[in-house]
Amino acid sequence: MIHSLLQLFGVTEDKLKELITISLAEGGDYSDLFFEHTLVDELTLRDGEVNGAGSHIDYGMGIRVLAGDRTGYAYTEITSMKEMINAAKSASIIAKECTKSEPAMDVTPLKYKNHYPIMVPWEESSITSRSIYLKELNDKIFSFDSRVNKVLGRLTISLTEILFYNSEGILCADERPMATLSVTVIMQQGSRIENGSSSRSFRMGAEFLTHQLIDEIAKEVVENTSILFDAEIPQGGEMPVVMSAGGSGILLHEAIGHSFEADFNRQNISIFSEKFGKKICSEEISVVDDGTITSNRGAVNFDDEGVPGQKTYMVTQGYLTSYLHDRISAKFYNTAPTGNGRRESFRFMPIPRMRATYMLNGKSKESDIIASVKKGIYVDTFSNGQVQIGAGDFTFYVKSGNLIENGRLTKPIKDINIIGNGPMALADIVAVADNSMIDNGAWICGKEQYCPVSCGMPSVLISKLIIGGVQQ
Amino acid sequence: MKNHNITTAQFALETALEKGCNDVRITLNESRQNTFTFRNDQLDRLQQATSSSLFLQLYVDGKYGTFSTNKMDRKELLDFISKGVEITKLITEDKDRGLPDKNLYYRGGRKDLRQYDKLYSNISTEQKINIAKECNYEILGKDERILNVTSEFSDYEEYNLIIDSQGFMGETEQTNFAISTDCSVKGIEDARPEGWWYESSLFFNKLYYQGCGEKALGRALKKIGPKKLRSGRYNMIVENTVSSRLIAPIISALNGANIQQNNSFLQNKLGKKVFSPLLEIYDNAHLPESFGARYFDSEGVATQPMKIIDCGTINTYFVNSYYSKKTGLPVTVDSPSVPECYVAGDNNCKIIIKDLNFLLNKSLNGVLVTGFNGGNSNSSTGDFSFGIEGFYFENGECLFPVSEMNITGNIISLWNSIIDLGNDPRTSNRWLIPSLLFEDVDFNGF
Repeated sequence: MIHSLLQLFGVTEDKLKELITISLAEGGDYSDLFFEHTLVDELTLRDGEVNGAGSHIDYGMGIRVLAGDRTGYAYTEITSMKEMINAAKSASIIAKECTKSEPAMDVTPLKYKNHYPIMVPWEESSITSRSIYLKELNDKIFSFDSRVNKVLGRLTISLTEILFYNSEGILCADERPMATLSVTVIMQQGSRIENGSSSRSFRMGAEFLTHQLIDEIAKEVVENTSILFDAEIPQGGEMPVVMSAGGSGILLHEAIGHSFEADFNRQNISIFSEKFGKKICSEEISVVDDGTITSNRGAVNFDDEGVPGQKTYMVTQGYLTSYLHDRISAKFYNTAPTGNGRRESFRFMPIPRMRATYMLNGKSKESDIIASVKKGIYVDTFSNGQVQIGAGDFTFYVKSGNLIENGRLTKPIKDINIIGNGPMALADIVAVADNSMIDNGAWICGKEQYCPVSCGMPSVLISKLIIGGVQQ
Repeated sequence: MKNHNITTAQFALETALEKGCNDVRITLNESRQNTFTFRNDQLDRLQQATSSSLFLQLYVDGKYGTFSTNKMDRKELLDFISKGVEITKLITEDKDRGLPDKNLYYRGGRKDLRQYDKLYSNISTEQKINIAKECNYEILGKDERILNVTSEFSDYEEYNLIIDSQGFMGETEQTNFAISTDCSVKGIEDARPEGWWYESSLFFNKLYYQGCGEKALGRALKKIGPKKLRSGRYNMIVENTVSSRLIAPIISALNGANIQQNNSFLQNKLGKKVFSPLLEIYDNAHLPESFGARYFDSEGVATQPMKIIDCGTINTYFVNSYYSKKTGLPVTVDSPSVPECYVAGDNNCKIIIKDLNFLLNKSLNGVLVTGFNGGNSNSSTGDFSFGIEGFYFENGECLFPVSEMNITGNIISLWNSIIDLGNDPRTSNRWLIPSLLFEDVDFNGF
């Protein structure tokens, strides 16, 4: 693959070395080159027909120079030596008057495991055959419930080809597929209208598209939307929250994940900056950020600074055991990078980002957890979240759930924001179920730049969070 | 730059027509940008780049496809467009797709909207870095609780060109300069409250960066030791820095796509009184020296200054030519350009300064919201729930910071509980929305 990508970008190993040498000419400790070619194909279903198509190419390369923890970055969309040398010189300005370091003379291909094998290349799947699945999705959704009014579907297939080289002589290439099917449904009951969405996203080939997948998404979106007609906004305030397995992993992403990203910690602006090695929650809790789950949306064969994908234990039996590092923070903490240096595209410099973040199983049963709550809420579908790194306050938006009254799930609820404080919420997790699962929806993280991620969770009970709601 | 881009766009347009398109629209964008980040006492990051992209909308026998690339080489463009036309032919016809009525196009000849700073290329890297550095040095060492200060100067120069096969051609050029400072301070226990400030301008000489650092530090220090309030209904003032968050769901609900998809809480509300008679939202589309001002939208349709909400009544939806054909509604524009918001009939009356202090003194008690933390709104129903931070105030005086609270309700109800609107919109923001005062808002705390 390396050879074909060298050709695609019009470079040779000697040219890569020359660019690295120029980028470090002013000084600096390290530099890298990131070449990218992304092709995105999409089909849109609207008003019962597959009547929108698109194809988008993004091409270019970025050059990064590090001088201590300072970064110079420049990119170009034209990979001629002239343009790339200009970019290398722009990036090198950061290292002016810094100590010079010599780049490696030998090229070392990176060894890594492929976490996203492609069984059926997308080239073997025609526009027409893809359209059939979208049409089937539309028809199934309409067949499941007479209240369905509109269906908007989208199939997005992307293939990103990456060539990476750095001043340590590491050379690697990767093909990163991403297949995403998403649907939004509008349903109407009398004058009341509700909407719901569902999606699946994997790093896969055309084996992604199956009738089973279509059936699964169609059922899920109709079920999740139809329940909203019976749902109400609950009374707000502080109360226990049972978070269901799967998508509740958004709690980990917002409440602790971002605060564990080591750029925030090395700058001393995260609420967890002084918590490394300390006990932060129940010993029943272990949290992992994992780039090695086969075909997972957050999987990386190597990250965007040439570090192999790996599994990082952030919390081990209640103790904070690792931050999520890129090369800069790893050097700052004198530890190895964890493969979390990611970027949206060649237009961005890599920064510490999550991959698939999930909590390992506990010992409780979800039914017992629910039964233990006299008055609280159970939440199961979510749309978005956010966190304030320094204060630790995080939020996530609940699309649907239920009240818990005397240990039983009762009235459906909807459209509420939940807010809490990361360290306190983690410490307030008082029960962890044995049903951990990954949510395979199209999660996107928006820290400075967009990145595909996923998350997971077993059902847990948090003794108190602030629930959005109205005064009854 | 212009001539080269026009030639490329025309090549793409002619190629698409030759390959079988009935109609074509080409949108070409080229930009340069720089970012310099100063953290504490040293330059932390610099980023420089030039970008371009070509966006094609192809109409082939009633079928529609969108394609984009940043590879402008003629041979590659030829292949890309050929494939695009073939892909478009494979999907289902949508007879409502097409270029707009030519009579709706902007015909040119209007005054320059003054959005481009001709000095852009003359401003040195050192000048830009020094602005970020100065903002940091305003506060470094001024307070022992400071943990981290980061100031970022960014600028861009952008050129946009739209041409289509009906003969429309429109160009815009814009520059932008921005400075922001983030300051983290030691709070109670492990908390590290952050404060920020931001200024931006289309013109370098009008970027008022002085004081940016001090404002960020002041805001961070005021946030130390926040409390939660008891759940209940309070008056709410929303600061002009974040007030556009409460207008956004209205603008989204007026969008033609949401109306056509039956996914808007303002469906069938055109011409109806929905909000408080106090509320006026105006699209000042041709306001010179403003970020979003424009004479034509993304289809080339001429924009007009217009009332969006008039004394609480819905005056317009945002309908492009596609959704016009789908819904039978007249074409307006694809989206607002420069939304302004004020008390109905009060837009030219600025004799009384109605800033944050005015609203605090008018309300006397309540919660001043200075930031939103997550949350969302339901596009179909208008129900919303947002996390907030800010200050509890009594007798017009802020007493203590509040955080970890939500506000919850319905957008229509909320905007019927508006008591007053300030006349203090920040010109650094794209939407000119002032500070806002509401009564009886549901706050969720302990």
